[in-house]
Amino acid sequence: MKIATIKTPDQVIIPLQQHAGAACNPLVRVGDTVSIGQLIGDGEFRIHSSVSGEVTALSEMPHPSGKDVLSVVIETRNGEKKGIKPEELHAGTIKSIIREFGIVEPNGLSTISKKVDIDTIIINGTNTGDLSSNAALMLDYPSEIVYGLKALMESVGAKKAIIVIELNSEALHVMRTETIPDSNIKIVATPTYYPAGTENTLVKKFTRKKVPRGSTPEDRGVLVSSIAAIKALHDAVHDSIPMIAKTVTVAGAVRSPGNVLVEIGTSVKHVIDECGGCSGTPVKIVINGAVSGAAQYSDEVPIIKTTSGILVQTESDINREPPAPCINCAWCVDECPIGLMPHLLYGYADSAQFDKCAELYISDCVECGMCAYVCPSKLPLVQIIRYGKHGVAEMGLETVEVEV
Amino acid sequence: MTYTISPLPHVKSRESVKSVMWGTVAALIPITIAAIYLFEFPAIKIILVTVIAAVVAEIIIYKAASQPITIDDGNAVLVGLILALLMPPSISDHIWVPIIGAVFAIAVAKYIFGGTGTLVFHPALVGFAFLLAAWPTYMGAQSTVISTPNLGSFSDILIETGAGRLVEASPVLVLLGGAIVLYKRYVDRRVALSATILLILLILITGKGWQLPYVLTGGFFLGLIFLAADPITSPVTKKGRLIYGIMLAVLILIQLHFGAYFTGMCFAVLMMNVFSPLIDRSTIPKPIGGK
Repeated sequence: MKIATIKTPDQVIIPLQQHAGAACNPLVRVGDTVSIGQLIGDGEFRIHSSVSGEVTALSEMPHPSGKDVLSVVIETRNGEKKGIKPEELHAGTIKSIIREFGIVEPNGLSTISKKVDIDTIIINGTNTGDLSSNAALMLDYPSEIVYGLKALMESVGAKKAIIVIELNSEALHVMRTETIPDSNIKIVATPTYYPAGTENTLVKKFTRKKVPRGSTPEDRGVLVSSIAAIKALHDAVHDSIPMIAKTVTVAGAVRSPGNVLVEIGTSVKHVIDECGGCSGTPVKIVINGAVSGAAQYSDEVPIIKTTSGILVQTESDINREPPAPCINCAWCVDECPIGLMPHLLYGYADSAQFDKCAELYISDCVECGMCAYVCPSKLPLVQIIRYGKHGVAEMGLETVEVEV
Repeated sequence: MTYTISPLPHVKSRESVKSVMWGTVAALIPITIAAIYLFEFPAIKIILVTVIAAVVAEIIIYKAASQPITIDDGNAVLVGLILALLMPPSISDHIWVPIIGAVFAIAVAKYIFGGTGTLVFHPALVGFAFLLAAWPTYMGAQSTVISTPNLGSFSDILIETGAGRLVEASPVLVLLGGAIVLYKRYVDRRVALSATILLILLILITGKGWQLPYVLTGGFFLGLIFLAADPITSPVTKKGRLIYGIMLAVLILIQLHFGAYFTGMCFAVLMMNVFSPLIDRSTIPKPIGGK
């Protein structure tokens, strides 16, 4: 599994929001010449230009979130790579490195959010469904990932790290060989499970620490990070390259699917074309995985820092079965990684009984989509639960602990 | 180019209500064939008439109520088939009895309680209980029709020549169908396994070893796997399903003690159906991270 490179597009659209929180302020104007790695947006997370060229527009452009977002449009021109001066790496500054080099976790957050004592680092190296970028990164850059992980461990003072990899992943052997000299980095093989990306379930499964509602794993001394962020950390610390490209899995109805390295801001259309184009008529384009990804209304949306996969679906891939009544099969209850009662939440939210939704902890739902995946009645569980969450938030209903 | 947008997930499992219902019907085919092999024409007559009665009743009732007709989801066929399998072969001389049972099951237990998904009692069991109460002699309520497989000989487990009901024709084939639906999760594993294992353990512990053969019949396997663990009428919480299975086993043991065997099991399941919502309500789990 080799990560392929694709042709740099003629134009990139770099949104000033590629993370959770407030959008960055643009630092360039229309007509400015920018070079690779140049800072173009500043704020809570920094944004750098992924190409060299000229800024042709600064306007609201399509974004994978579905909303139009203020973006810097750059017409590419070949140019020299311009890095940022390497910084001294010691405890306390890792947070600033992450900010300066614009490293964003796949969930849109920063790797470190607070200044707390970290004991264990968990790296999620699992892949789900159509996404395989984690395995591809580990196969292609095992030593870089270990380097990045060690840098992170050293700077936060973590004594041990766990890399979670599926049992059947090719990367398992590679990473095991790579980490033999380090007794404090443990490779944990796990059967494929879903959703692997949920922090609290990872922490509970691999450190047996419970993360109470309202707190983060960091409060329990556990830092959860991702292969993509660790690789970006290596690039930042070792080569002074900010996060300007992303490894993306292209899957589904494309002629040559696989993992490709894509400059931030490249349109989905360009990536698909570079992967041989669509085989068959594309009906749906999904970013970040078939189960919990987001469907796109346009193929003009750019690849951003949180993008890890593009899935092209044709009509035969889409289930348009109308919903049937719930038959209480309890499959959703068995699948829910959080331990919620999805079918009850669905029923209460559908009838706008938001107080009942709050009592059943609706806001704990991580929207992994597993309940709606297994549902034999094909109920739009996630859609209605989102409505319920909105209703609970609107009415200011706190999740109350009920005596049962 | 316009693309379809929808909330997640963008893939869905192939299982549907139809596949669950028809899959359960398919799992009952082996025992149906065994019943036909053992009882010949009366069995064919009972099964065909009961299934058709259930389907026709559903069409007429739902049409009269201007409700969408959903016989293609297989629920009416499943109810009819299970009800037919609960009949003694001699009922073919009074074929109006299972017809009334099927109509009662669909009209009262299914339609009045809101149809598939909201019903409280298993329709086939309701139909059976109604017939048993109304025409006990035709339904073979007398103890003479209890089948007791001889554990010593294998042929009795495979084909039970002393079977008193269609379903008792072959315990092994009911178990085979049960294994399929348990594997496919068409019925609830926790309920079926906890009830079956605990019941056998309880019988062994209480020292009434003579009762064990009474339980290892096609009727009991159908009751514990297909009826008690039916998804619609059993609880949904993980803990609740175990409690349901345990309570059911205890209830069946009490019935056994008073000499009610197959019918006792059926009434135990119906009784447990009542508790299902209560068990659910009191076993809502705390999500991870909850206090």
